[in-house]
Amino acid sequence: MTQEVKTKASFPSVEWFNAIREIVNGEEGFKRLGTCDSTVGIKVPDKGKFYVMTFEAFEISGVRETDEMAAEDTDFWLEISFAKWKEMIENIKANGRADLHHTLNTIDLEVPEGFARSNDGYRRDAFYRFNQTYQYFFDTSAKIDTTFV
Amino acid sequence: MAEASPIPEDLAQVASEKGIPIELIQRALALGFPPDAVKGQLSMPGVTAEAAEQFIGEQERIRAGGEVTVPPELAAVAAEHNWPESLIIRALKLGAQADFLMNQIKAGIAAEQAENFINRQEQAREVGLAATLDLRWMHVPTEWGVRVRPGKKGLTVGAINVGTYADIPDVWPYRTEMPRGAYPIAGVPAMGYSIYEKAELWAENSADLYEEAIQRRWRPSSDIPWETMQDLPVEMEKAVCQVCTWLCEKALLAGDVTGKWLPEMSYGYHEVKLYLASAAYDYAHQFEVARKRALSNGGGMGLQSPGYFHRAVIDARAWTEASVALHILDASHTMMVLQIGEYTAHNEAESQIYRYAMQDVARQIAYGVQHLKFFLMKYHERRAEIHNYLNKSEALFLYEDERDVPLREALTILLGGGISPELMADGHRKLEYFRARFVRDYLARLASAGVPERKTKIHSALRKYVPQEVEAATAAA
Repeated sequence: MTQEVKTKASFPSVEWFNAIREIVNGEEGFKRLGTCDSTVGIKVPDKGKFYVMTFEAFEISGVRETDEMAAEDTDFWLEISFAKWKEMIENIKANGRADLHHTLNTIDLEVPEGFARSNDGYRRDAFYRFNQTYQYFFDTSAKIDTTFV
Repeated sequence: MAEASPIPEDLAQVASEKGIPIELIQRALALGFPPDAVKGQLSMPGVTAEAAEQFIGEQERIRAGGEVTVPPELAAVAAEHNWPESLIIRALKLGAQADFLMNQIKAGIAAEQAENFINRQEQAREVGLAATLDLRWMHVPTEWGVRVRPGKKGLTVGAINVGTYADIPDVWPYRTEMPRGAYPIAGVPAMGYSIYEKAELWAENSADLYEEAIQRRWRPSSDIPWETMQDLPVEMEKAVCQVCTWLCEKALLAGDVTGKWLPEMSYGYHEVKLYLASAAYDYAHQFEVARKRALSNGGGMGLQSPGYFHRAVIDARAWTEASVALHILDASHTMMVLQIGEYTAHNEAESQIYRYAMQDVARQIAYGVQHLKFFLMKYHERRAEIHNYLNKSEALFLYEDERDVPLREALTILLGGGISPELMADGHRKLEYFRARFVRDYLARLASAGVPERKTKIHSALRKYVPQEVEAATAAA
């Protein structure tokens, strides 16, 4: 898949999430997936980087950098090593979207503790309920030029 | 000429906009036409003062004893459809237009239906319109003046629960189809519902899940990139088709069970009924997409399942029992099968099928968890009853699981990647890993529903999958 790259951002950073957020919030394809209300933590533990994304109705209403405790005070958080994040994002860039072995669900299943983790079984199920929305978000990273810090 | 009737302001305004003289309006009202009807006629496109004068003049002539002439074309249509001429004349006397009558006759309105209507109109004309209207219903003592505005997600079912319409009683006192918030009338027969207590069906997320299901709907026919399907080795295609057959059977059963319980639920809890209606639609999706996958890549349907576990769901004597079995245990297992499907997808079409289906199943789980939570909040003394439901469900699940060799082997083949002993061994190892995740998630959901102690009471055959750290923590406690 080819696409015009207009934005450059480094991962992990608020700028990287916001660059994707800006694209996604303007796309009909994202809205067509339906409403999503959830808070999702992002953890890159070996870089000491933590974020919280807020999905609200048909958009991602906010992304902020935070601490580990706040990242876990969400419906669920996505946690893998920096190397694994990099592999996923590079795979998405190379294919235009995650290939069959790099979807959020597949990565979740390959990590014994899970890629999506939560302190509550009900809230963790948001990962499945809105799976296509989250996948769309990360697949959209193919439309920006990602550098890795 | 009849005495001048008062002309409502809005009618006068329409007349003025259309250039119709006020004197004509007064003559129409004097003929007994209701102001709203006159206003409606004037609002029609093409109405002119000349046409209005002609119509009203004709009505006045008829009322004065003048003869009614039936246009030949109308007479022919009436004869063809067995409408007596006398009925046509009565309709014309009431002011019906010939074109309108011809359209009604051609549309299949029977003469008998028309006569009933004409009788009522004539009666109204004789005694005066006001005397025939019963407007007491307009004074119904329900909350009035509600004006909910759409939010970010539009005008949702949850958002319109305002004022008295947000009152959801613990016990619904009516036995009829009356919607919540309406005002009851005496004498309506009971409809035979059996669930009147909120705790027996309620889940706090019902309205949101309904909106979510509607907003996140998908179309198996066009949202799946079917063109990405490719021929698979025979054993893999057979394994995929066996899994699809199982998904089809599960979906039909779940739809039937949901459909069976819906009429038992009284009308006070429409949020639950709406969500479950959407869940029935989701089950149809699951069936549809699994059958389409089975029949679109050179394969076909596989073996039916033994069906022992079906009894746990079908034979449940209470909705909560059915929900615990269907929405928590069974849906958690189905989620595992969908996860394996996505994990072993051979193409984008399969990946999308399982991911979309997971979203639907996750909503079913979400309802089940929140319903059980609400039930236990209201009936904490019935906790042992829930464990009994779970004991029965887990036992039947395991009995089924042991005998459903086709499903187990199909999943093993998919996970291993083939049928050689080495690949099957690898597949078996992976299936055990998935089963452990299934048990972990099942227990986490029950814990969230307020049954954290289930990990100590789970069926012995499933206990080996309980995470060791959980077991250790439980033992220490």
